[in-house]
Amino acid sequence: MGFTDRARRDGPVARGKRRLALVASVLALTTSVVALPAMGGSAGATSFKGSITIATVAPFTGADAALGPKYQAACLGATQAINASGGILGQKVNCKVVDTRGDPADAVPAVRQMYATTSNLALVIGCTSDEAATVVPIFGAHKTVSFCMTGQSEFDAVHFPYFFRLVPPDASDSVAMTQIAKRHGYKKIALAFGNDAGSQTFVQPALAAIKRAGMTVVSNQTLDMSATTFQTEAQAIVSAHPDAIMMEALGAAGVALLSEIYQLNGNKMIPTIGTSAMIDPVFFSGVTSGPIGVQNFISNFDADNPTVAVGGPAYPLYKKLILAQQGKVPGVPSFQGLLSANGTVHLYDGINLAALAMVMSGSTQGSKYKADILKIAAGGPGAITVSSYAQGLKALKAGKKIHYIGVGGSYKFDAFQTAFGPFEDDQYTANGTTVMVGSSLGYCNLTLCQAKP
Amino acid sequence: MSVFLSSLGFGIISAAVLAIATVGFTMQFAVTNVLNLAYGSVMINSAFVTYFLNIHGHLNAWVALIGGVATGSVASYLLNRFVYTPFQRRNLAPITIVIVALGVDLCGTFGLQAIVGGSYFTYRQSQGREWHFLGMYFSTLQLTIIAIALGVMIAVAWLLRYTRLGKAMRATSANPNLARNSGVRTQSVISTTWLISGALAGLAGTVFAMNTGVFEATSAQLYIVLLLAAMFLGGPGEPYGAMLGAATIGIATELSAAFINPQYKMVIAFVILLGMLTFRPYGLFGSERTA
Repeated sequence: MGFTDRARRDGPVARGKRRLALVASVLALTTSVVALPAMGGSAGATSFKGSITIATVAPFTGADAALGPKYQAACLGATQAINASGGILGQKVNCKVVDTRGDPADAVPAVRQMYATTSNLALVIGCTSDEAATVVPIFGAHKTVSFCMTGQSEFDAVHFPYFFRLVPPDASDSVAMTQIAKRHGYKKIALAFGNDAGSQTFVQPALAAIKRAGMTVVSNQTLDMSATTFQTEAQAIVSAHPDAIMMEALGAAGVALLSEIYQLNGNKMIPTIGTSAMIDPVFFSGVTSGPIGVQNFISNFDADNPTVAVGGPAYPLYKKLILAQQGKVPGVPSFQGLLSANGTVHLYDGINLAALAMVMSGSTQGSKYKADILKIAAGGPGAITVSSYAQGLKALKAGKKIHYIGVGGSYKFDAFQTAFGPFEDDQYTANGTTVMVGSSLGYCNLTLCQAKP
Repeated sequence: MSVFLSSLGFGIISAAVLAIATVGFTMQFAVTNVLNLAYGSVMINSAFVTYFLNIHGHLNAWVALIGGVATGSVASYLLNRFVYTPFQRRNLAPITIVIVALGVDLCGTFGLQAIVGGSYFTYRQSQGREWHFLGMYFSTLQLTIIAIALGVMIAVAWLLRYTRLGKAMRATSANPNLARNSGVRTQSVISTTWLISGALAGLAGTVFAMNTGVFEATSAQLYIVLLLAAMFLGGPGEPYGAMLGAATIGIATELSAAFINPQYKMVIAFVILLGMLTFRPYGLFGSERTA
């Protein structure tokens, strides 16, 4: 018995429905793949005539949607201070959102649209591992300076003249995670990384580092970031009885996985070590509002994070500026949590470096000011140390050389324009901020990363 | 064996959620002749209404679920009344309605995302204790969802078999003109069907969000793929087929995750669908004469 009992005698009716359904199912499948990119174009703040635009090219929707708001907060904070000092070369600075959805296929048209609609683009920030490989060459072709949040290994060995990054290569990130595991005395490690490019880039370096450290990988799960539950993967991890899990799975996936592991492990959280991207207020809020709860989570979760000079001279202004963005950036549940967030800290510094370089060179064109970024970061004999745009501007106007030391400390760029310092082992506190529980992890350039952790 | 049994357990819970959704979906298609691809959007919007009532209204999640069910029901009714019916009255090609449904789906999903943002959400709700049964693991919450799914299946079967409305729905599905000439108030039946199937969408959306534990505005975006696979597997317009299709798809995707690769879950669902369309296009419960 069914709806179509009689339809079987009325063949054409049923056949018509089936044909329609068949066509529609194909259409639905196509749409499910195509529609998201189509909706994921760039949008954001209006740029004003005569002003300079900084574009935040990053995922604001999709699995890695938590990343973009962190970067946009950095942009709004930094430009607030820059504009308060009179802007750059007399021009106001705007921040523009360009949503890549964390997918290279969406990122390229979004970036092309950005260039088509933004005549005064002076700088790009963001560009995570999800999309960097496809968009950095486009930035280079347009001679646009970019400060990217990618640790991908291809940027370790190929020189992109307009590409800068203030974050470590993934190889060293994975070494730092392994060092945290070793300090805790863990022997058996499970890996759980999302199937997005940004997360998968950690896996091979992690496997190598774990092996060099004499530990064992007992389970290696790749998480489909479009899935909504991960019970089978969670069970595979629980059954492997790891001492700890190393993971990066942003968005709802990471929260769902940890919650399911917790439940399948008899309501006990397996100690987990995340990447620096998992120092994220949205992630914290998602996990702690679920079955794991705050106390369980903060006791069992560590993340490696490039060291933030909380006590440094740049920090108080940075803190004030970031907290002042409360309510201006959707998708950030706790601005306190951004104060030590890798992306927020380093892109704030990147914007200050670029802005001061523009002033120093007298131009907002990437081809003219990019060399001055290296000079300001390096300092050199006679250079005055500055920790804010206002201080740097004043010194430059006085005809002095400057050395910028930001919230992330001093930046010394290598031949591939990558600059990073040591990692620390961070844990969350009950209110979602982080506290350093270990330091001097993985201070490595690419050579040292090959050493035993 | 333990991996198989545990995956089977996960498949059963996936199937339970999918079954609630698929029965509503196939009922809607059979009676109204609209392949409502916005079904997933109705599901997730309903789940968010439940969330709002649970978190901001401080209601127990199971009480808040009533709000989600009501939202799905009313939203589906209004969707038919103000979107689909006007298009159908213009005697447009059926594929046009499908395109309209796609548009509604995108509006519903991304409109919701514009409101709630790219963040993710969790109900304030306990999962309950863990139950181990023949190598399978279920939380109390999941057992409750399975019980709800069974209840829905029984209720739908009873509705179709023993009630005047069910008979009228079947008659309208088979041949609306004949049903109308026989005295069935087909417009009323269709409106009621939207209300009932919408309620099932609201229920499915909420238990889907409860089961996943964490959800976002686009969480149900790909769910339509599983719905279509389950519906075709059982036979379009076949409620019992939908139940069996949901069970098969739910269990097959979880077993494939355990024994092949978790990334192939969606692939497996569509391989099953393509296989069914190739070898038995009328589905498990359909008849060759109608293919």
